[in-house]
Amino acid sequence: VYRRFAISVLLLAMTLPLAARTRPRYGGALRVELAGDPWQKPGGIARTLVFDGLTTRALDGTVLPALATDWASADSDHRWQFHVRPGVRFHDGTGLTATNAAAALNIACPSNCPWNAIHVVGAWLVFTSDGPMPNLPAMLAGDEFRIVLTLGADGKSPSPNIGTGPFQVASSANDALTLTANENCWQGRPFVDTIEIRGHRPIHDQWLDVSVGRADVAEVPAENVRQAQQQRLNVIVSPSAELLVLEESSTGALASPQIRAAVAAAVDRSALSNVIFQKQGEISGGLLPQSLSGYAFLFPTDQDLNKSHALRGGLTVGTLTLAADSDGAMQLAAQRIALNLREAGFNVQTGNAERPDLVLRKLPLPAGSPAAVLEELLRSAGQPSPVVADPGIAAMYKAERELLDRHTLVPLLDLPRAYATGARVRDLRIAADGFPDLADASLEDAP
Amino acid sequence: VSLRQRLLLLFSLTVAAAVAAVAWTVLVRIRTVFDQRDQQETALFVSQFQREFQQRSAEVTAAVDHLAATERARSMAFEIVQSGDSTPYLTEAQTMAQDAQLDFLEIVGSDGNVVSSAQWPARFGYPEPIATQIGATAFLKREELPDGSVALGLFAVRAIRGAEPAIHLIGGRRLDQSFLHDLPVAPGMTIGLYSVNAGDQSLAVFDPKQFVGVTGDVPGAGHYETLINKARISGQPTSGTLYLTADRSDSVSVTAIPLNNQAGVTMAVLTVALSRTGLVEAQRHIRAIAYGVAAGGILLGIAFSLWIAARVSRPIEQLARAAEEVAEGNWEARVPEHGPSEVSGLAQSFNHMTSELVTQREQLVQSERVAAWRELARRLAHELKNPLFPLQLTVENLVRARALPAEEFDEVFRESTTTLSMEIANLKAIIGRFSDFSKMPKPELERIDAKSVIGRACSLYASVGDRPEGPIRCETEIAHEPMPMMADSELLHRAISNLVLNAMDAMPKGGNLTLSAKPAGDKIELRVSDTGEGLTPEECERLFTPYYTTKQHGTGLGLAIVQSVVADHGGTIAVESRAGGGATFIITLPKAER
Repeated sequence: VYRRFAISVLLLAMTLPLAARTRPRYGGALRVELAGDPWQKPGGIARTLVFDGLTTRALDGTVLPALATDWASADSDHRWQFHVRPGVRFHDGTGLTATNAAAALNIACPSNCPWNAIHVVGAWLVFTSDGPMPNLPAMLAGDEFRIVLTLGADGKSPSPNIGTGPFQVASSANDALTLTANENCWQGRPFVDTIEIRGHRPIHDQWLDVSVGRADVAEVPAENVRQAQQQRLNVIVSPSAELLVLEESSTGALASPQIRAAVAAAVDRSALSNVIFQKQGEISGGLLPQSLSGYAFLFPTDQDLNKSHALRGGLTVGTLTLAADSDGAMQLAAQRIALNLREAGFNVQTGNAERPDLVLRKLPLPAGSPAAVLEELLRSAGQPSPVVADPGIAAMYKAERELLDRHTLVPLLDLPRAYATGARVRDLRIAADGFPDLADASLEDAP
Repeated sequence: VSLRQRLLLLFSLTVAAAVAAVAWTVLVRIRTVFDQRDQQETALFVSQFQREFQQRSAEVTAAVDHLAATERARSMAFEIVQSGDSTPYLTEAQTMAQDAQLDFLEIVGSDGNVVSSAQWPARFGYPEPIATQIGATAFLKREELPDGSVALGLFAVRAIRGAEPAIHLIGGRRLDQSFLHDLPVAPGMTIGLYSVNAGDQSLAVFDPKQFVGVTGDVPGAGHYETLINKARISGQPTSGTLYLTADRSDSVSVTAIPLNNQAGVTMAVLTVALSRTGLVEAQRHIRAIAYGVAAGGILLGIAFSLWIAARVSRPIEQLARAAEEVAEGNWEARVPEHGPSEVSGLAQSFNHMTSELVTQREQLVQSERVAAWRELARRLAHELKNPLFPLQLTVENLVRARALPAEEFDEVFRESTTTLSMEIANLKAIIGRFSDFSKMPKPELERIDAKSVIGRACSLYASVGDRPEGPIRCETEIAHEPMPMMADSELLHRAISNLVLNAMDAMPKGGNLTLSAKPAGDKIELRVSDTGEGLTPEECERLFTPYYTTKQHGTGLGLAIVQSVVADHGGTIAVESRAGGGATFIITLPKAER
């Protein structure tokens, strides 16, 4: 019996550490390194940690309450009212009200907003518009509409970068930003005490720092995922979070839709996906991913030079300028597209023209309903969004087909976001927008 | 053209020609020397260029060789061959090129397609046919770049060791401005490298952007087009002179050397330009000296020609002037007898001639005077003898008549006294004519018109022509324009009348008498023509000699008086005649000024 008891006690003692290991620990400093600026729009990591939106998205794209507890629409989605969460305070102690939320939204969106006006009615924010706004709750979960304190309690301008998020700014010097946990966060205190963010750090330096334990989280561009894995880094990869598109100007040399179609047909997506983005991208002919829309396979993705030549019809088009909105793989992809277009008889120059005819860029591809995602994609592309009254698959296909037939946006690849994590990081997940959910992360060796 | 001018011209031309010949010879010699120097410098530079080129080729070959043997390349090739997936090595060429300090590097898979390209990373998957051209040495190749430009480079191809099928490396270094910068360039030398574009085989296309020098752009790049194209066509070094600006000193002697690849296609043209400033300045200096010498020589020529003129032409001119004076009647003209022996001899001869002429004229005058006196005596004797003979007969008859009765004597006496009176009157008349000739009055000039002179004579003698022995028809031919002249109308009328009477005498059987007046330049011609027997040439020659006459009873003073009148009016008289064709007397008088 004693022997059995002793064995049981021993087994119990062995399982206790395992149980302790599965439970997150509070405390510690999480070190994050970035290639860009932590405050950049959209999607700067500091913005996701310091500011909240009225709504937020679950991993599956479902819109969840955040600084708004509930919402309702009226008048066929022409009017929306959001109830501001009571008891929430900004980092400086200022209470969140419908007024300062409305002020923040008005500053965040000075023009070309989804709404015409915001009214404050008690604790309610009322959005009105001439057109229907069926996807407004999903849109307000976007990074663009995070609530920043812009109206101090005494009427004076507050310090910058004050929000209601789980972390607040402790210090900022050069490229180093230190955030500390917001003890009074409405969502509850985050696990780590501080997050030290180091911006403008080259990718390979970030990886080196993660390898030697000087950093806990580093960025991994999609094209470098395989390389990072080969270097035995722990890489977490999001689902498709960005859409690589080729924007075609509808003026100048590309004023003709037929010429734009010829350009679109000349692009070799497989070379971009397989080589430049190292098979991390998913070839896409539609704006929405196949997993979201279910019909993306209907849009052609293969390079068709014969079709391109036929569409061009022997017309001589002037020299086209092609720009990419970032360096590295994007520039390489731009050069490759230029090469494709030369094969199709176009004369293309890559570089930073003032008003380029073609722009290769990445658009954020959040999770959500197809209609909401499409609207957000087009909004980030600066293009008018069709109002899809019926969010059914047929209506969505029709709307997207019409959009693509204009050939002003040529979808190329759906790309993931990826991050390398150090050994002591626990429970780091990718959020619905593809960014790491650092607020829920904890550290292995936290005290 | 005077002798002085001819001498001046001759001296100037001689000096100028001599100076030009010397200057031309010196210029040609200098040019030859400079050309030889340019050729030597160009040849020296070309040999240095070739050494540098070969050294670069060796460096490129060694670098690519080394890369192909590295463990990194061999491992990559092994992975590619084993997995068949070359995508992980997309950026490998950039890394390897950086390590090997190569400007160009492409990794080409066994299928001949680019796996990775350092110079054009987006070119993966495209075929690269040059990968099969493995050779011991490097070669020239044009490489297209993403920005559309074309770079010229020295390339070498090597297979990565141990990989089967073969994976190739094509590495190269640029032949550009930095390459030119390493070449030893002599002072005054400008070198340039023109890269021929791939799509630029048409010789009409010349892109100055493809033409670079040590410091960037080549000055006056556009001027090199013709020479570079010639070198491209011929495939051989071509030389020429280029004038970069309007200033001739801003010119260069250029040699264009085509750089060909293994297939003989011209990939680039190296230009070696040597400044001609020194040559042009030397030529200018020599020209300036030549101009100065020529100018000095011409001035010396002028001085020499003046001196020669003083020695030679001036005595000749004096001689000419003296001859003119003699021609004008001044037989006393003399010239100084100095200067060269020939000229002084000529002057002596001239002076002797004029003195002889004066002597002979005086002798002639004496003889003519004697002849005239003799003629006068003969004429006087003849004229006086005719009336004297009747006088003698009458007186002798009167003496004999004293013996006759008184009545008969009275009859004879009356007849004799009548005859004596008539003959004495005749003698008086003869003496009166001689007296008139000796007492020709000075003309009193007044402005008259020749028409009036002719008109007056015609009206006077028109009626006289109706003679029974033969009518004479008088005609006038008078020009319409005014013919003013300064003349004594009476004297002139007398002269014309004399001529008219002579003409009438010349036509005893009648005929036509024509009086005409017409202007002849600054003269007026008055003509009196008849249709008589005419005159012999001998008669024409002696016609105006006083006391010469062809008439039976003429005194020979009529035409002498006419000539005297005409001479007193500053005119001349001439006669035109041929035997049987009538005679025309032509009086030429000066026209009066307006």
